Amino acid sequence: MDLTIAILLVSFVVLLAINTPIAIAIAVATVLTMLATMPADAALTTVAQRIASGLDSFALLAIPFFILSGYLMGQGGIARRLINFAMVLVGRFSGGLALVNVIACALFGSISGSAVAATSAIGGFMIPAMNKEGYDKNFNTAVTVTASTTGMLIPPSNILIIYSLASGGVSIAALFMAGYIPGLLVALSLMIVCGIYAKKHNFPAGLKYSFAEGVHHLVAAIPSLLLIVIVIGGIIGGYFTPTEAGAIAVIYALVLSLGVYREIALKDLPNILLKSVQTTAIVMLLIGASASMSWMLSYEFIPQTFTELVLTLSDNPIMILILINIMLLVVGTFMDMTPAVLIFTPILMPVMAAMDISPLHFGIMMILNLSIGLCTPPVGSVLFVGCSIGKTSIGAVVKPLLPLYAAMFICLLLVTLFPQISETLPRMMGLIE
Amino acid sequence: MGTFLTFVSKLDLALKYLLIILMALLLIDVSWQVLTRFLLPKPSSFTEELARFLLIWIGLLGASHAYRHRMHLGVDIFVKSMSARKAKVTTQIVQLMTLAFAISVLIYGGSKLVLLAFHLEQRSAAMQVNMGVVYMALPISGVLFAFFAIERLFGHYPGDAEQMISHTSKSKAVKAEVQ
Repeated sequence: MDLTIAILLVSFVVLLAINTPIAIAIAVATVLTMLATMPADAALTTVAQRIASGLDSFALLAIPFFILSGYLMGQGGIARRLINFAMVLVGRFSGGLALVNVIACALFGSISGSAVAATSAIGGFMIPAMNKEGYDKNFNTAVTVTASTTGMLIPPSNILIIYSLASGGVSIAALFMAGYIPGLLVALSLMIVCGIYAKKHNFPAGLKYSFAEGVHHLVAAIPSLLLIVIVIGGIIGGYFTPTEAGAIAVIYALVLSLGVYREIALKDLPNILLKSVQTTAIVMLLIGASASMSWMLSYEFIPQTFTELVLTLSDNPIMILILINIMLLVVGTFMDMTPAVLIFTPILMPVMAAMDISPLHFGIMMILNLSIGLCTPPVGSVLFVGCSIGKTSIGAVVKPLLPLYAAMFICLLLVTLFPQISETLPRMMGLIE
Repeated sequence: MGTFLTFVSKLDLALKYLLIILMALLLIDVSWQVLTRFLLPKPSSFTEELARFLLIWIGLLGASHAYRHRMHLGVDIFVKSMSARKAKVTTQIVQLMTLAFAISVLIYGGSKLVLLAFHLEQRSAAMQVNMGVVYMALPISGVLFAFFAIERLFGHYPGDAEQMISHTSKSKAVKAEVQ
């Protein structure tokens, strides 16, 4: 028992430290651990079989489709329309452009399902615009980076689908509904920080539109926003499964970007398909490898052992949640969100069950927690992209990031302490008991 | 050696076209399923199964392609702080690990699984395809992974030139879109 855990930990940590692709590190560490208790032949066949069966799921198919529709929608024109839309809503307030940035990032993150895409599409437009109005460029980058992660919680969201799979089938519809309030809470608290910051530094208000212009921009944004309505409405209303919703999102995005907005041409399609395959395959190998690891973990009773260990530390659910949050914050600074969710969900689920904490509450908490990690050095994919878009360095962005981190931390604390924040909406919709 | 490298890059090109076709097929297949479910009294039954099998193939073959283009997520912070020589040795060890994974899990384990499925006449529920055909994605992906790992072990890094121009931003951007 102790030997297997030692083999697993040592081999996994060493493999990760030398920059082995995480999916391969997971599979190799799994094989090495299994060799301690079973013949090589059985271990290799089992791991291969788990990789294949881990991918053999209709629910998983939603992921390539949302990735593809994200790429199709991820063109400049849609970003511009969402920015205009946000400008109509909040542009007139002081620090208006910063508020617009937050709302546009949240909307784009939700539609594209990618925080990095939101950072580059919205940031690529908003950061220079804010620079021109005299806003501090490091602050602008910091706002874009943090606001982009709200799209992880605001549905449709691929990471929530991955969590649903890793947790053993928490309803995707319920998770989507659960993400709304926490995601909007983060966006709102970031906007409050922006407002205070703007007052302090005397940043100007954004554009004020006449009524007619306002209506024009609202109407222009409707086709983009309609995608969210169709997908979420269809899933929650029970008209189609998340996978079918994904396919419908792709068709809708195709019609919109090829026919209506004319942002892409037919000849661009093969390349967009290839990019979607690449992004999909990275996630799929991680899912397959994690499936083999979680089989091995339960074969070796590791989650149970871990649960007993945690319960000896404390039997207070709030203490345990805080400890787990601290652990995940550390993990998040080094590891990207998808592998972290796939690796830690099966290990932490039994602890949650023992504490009577709902998987819905836990999932939203974990994803909000790991969102913070996406914007922290040393490893933070969204932060890296944001700094290159904002033409600044990580060191310079950290200072304006601090109050924004604080806002995210407060949201994380609220979401951790009050399960109602995540559970109210799905309960109102009748998606959970 | 030169012939091997040319062969591998041609292989990757062919793989690229295959992946694009498979992804387009997947989209058509599931769209067809949605359409028939709303329009026909009896929805088509094979489309769901075909979609799942396509995903296995796209996931496994695409993963080898993503490996060749260094898109997989990793923790690169320690390697970045190493001296160039140490980093090179470490990277070679990673290629060896990948080769070991490809040969042992994907090729060996995968082939055993394929043979077992053929031996047991294991067939899928709707299309009655032998599951061995589906599982063949494992060893084939393993062979591709192995070729691409050997290519790198011999010091050929496709995409090195672009990596040098924008060291963090570009590769990070592609990687991070997984998020």
